[in-house]
Amino acid sequence: MSAAFDTRNDSVALTSTGEARDFFALLKPRVMSLVIVTALAGMATAPSSVHPVIALASLLAIAVGAGASGCLNMWYDADIDVLMTRTAKRPIPAGRVLPSEALAFGLTLSIGAVLVLGLVANILAAAMLAFTIFFYAVVYSMWLKRWTPQNIVIGGAAGAFPPMIGEAVVTGDLGLHSLVLFAIIFLWTPPHFWALALVKSADYARAGIPMMPNVAGPAATRRQIVLYSLVMAPVAVLPALMGFGGLAYLVVSVTTGLAMIALAIRVRRVTEGEAATKACYSLFAFSILYLFGLFAVLLVENGLGLMWALPKVMG
Amino acid sequence: MSEPRKQPVAPAAFSPEDMARRRRRNLALALVLAGLVVFFFVVTLVKTGPAILNRPL
Repeated sequence: MSAAFDTRNDSVALTSTGEARDFFALLKPRVMSLVIVTALAGMATAPSSVHPVIALASLLAIAVGAGASGCLNMWYDADIDVLMTRTAKRPIPAGRVLPSEALAFGLTLSIGAVLVLGLVANILAAAMLAFTIFFYAVVYSMWLKRWTPQNIVIGGAAGAFPPMIGEAVVTGDLGLHSLVLFAIIFLWTPPHFWALALVKSADYARAGIPMMPNVAGPAATRRQIVLYSLVMAPVAVLPALMGFGGLAYLVVSVTTGLAMIALAIRVRRVTEGEAATKACYSLFAFSILYLFGLFAVLLVENGLGLMWALPKVMG
Repeated sequence: MSEPRKQPVAPAAFSPEDMARRRRRNLALALVLAGLVVFFFVVTLVKTGPAILNRPL
């Protein structure tokens, strides 16, 4: 453990050796990229439009707000991140950034992002961004994560809000389209995270985090991964049935949805040895591609006007 | 009894490597601030529109 983070020492270092890339890493750039794609899809599928510069500025504010919540999460979780192999190299546990620096950075960016979104877009979008940051940093990180195995189920809402914020930027209101996109991400979160939690359960046990495999056991977790995937895949087809996803979206959502279910069933069936680990990693990796793919197709169809429209069945 | 308060300590001296790192960090911050100036300028133009020229002198 580094001197900067070792609070058991008699003294605390005043300076850090953090570089710009360490502060950028505090923003969880991979999560930010998913937020950008999903928020953009929320804007693109909204029933009206907005000036491209306003859309870009709003997107930047949403991405920075999401990054700020990730930074606050890393600040709060530094004590458990240092115990887990997956997170021990993060800037705070590795000692490159001081906890106080991360807190100041996260709070400054949070306030700045909300203010900018309020000025550039509207109050509803800004209020939703503020709520998303609060939900992730306080409700999930400080409360749910260390308390209940349903942590990532409920906490998943924080990751699902960006399309709704995107729609609020464009319309100043919330509609059915972004609610469906919210539901897709919300239902996608448990199979995605539990696939990883099954492999990393020793890490989570060491850190004392009550993830589903540690509390309910691997078998129950595997069963729930299949159940969530079975509910998520049909919900992911809804945009095509409601008229804001075209033929390409229908084909992609059905085929990749079936692949998600197949990979989830493999996780359920293969429970021993290296093959089980591989099955979990396959589902985890594919789930990221799946969500990116769905929202990328929605973006191309709605944003670039390349939609082969289907008859509207519902909504 | 509560634990004694930890005393902050300043480093004895910055190594050349520390200074170089700090310089790179400050340069990145300067770039971000310059980017923000451009950002607010462009957004103001777009938000205000043609009316930006329509003001009492």
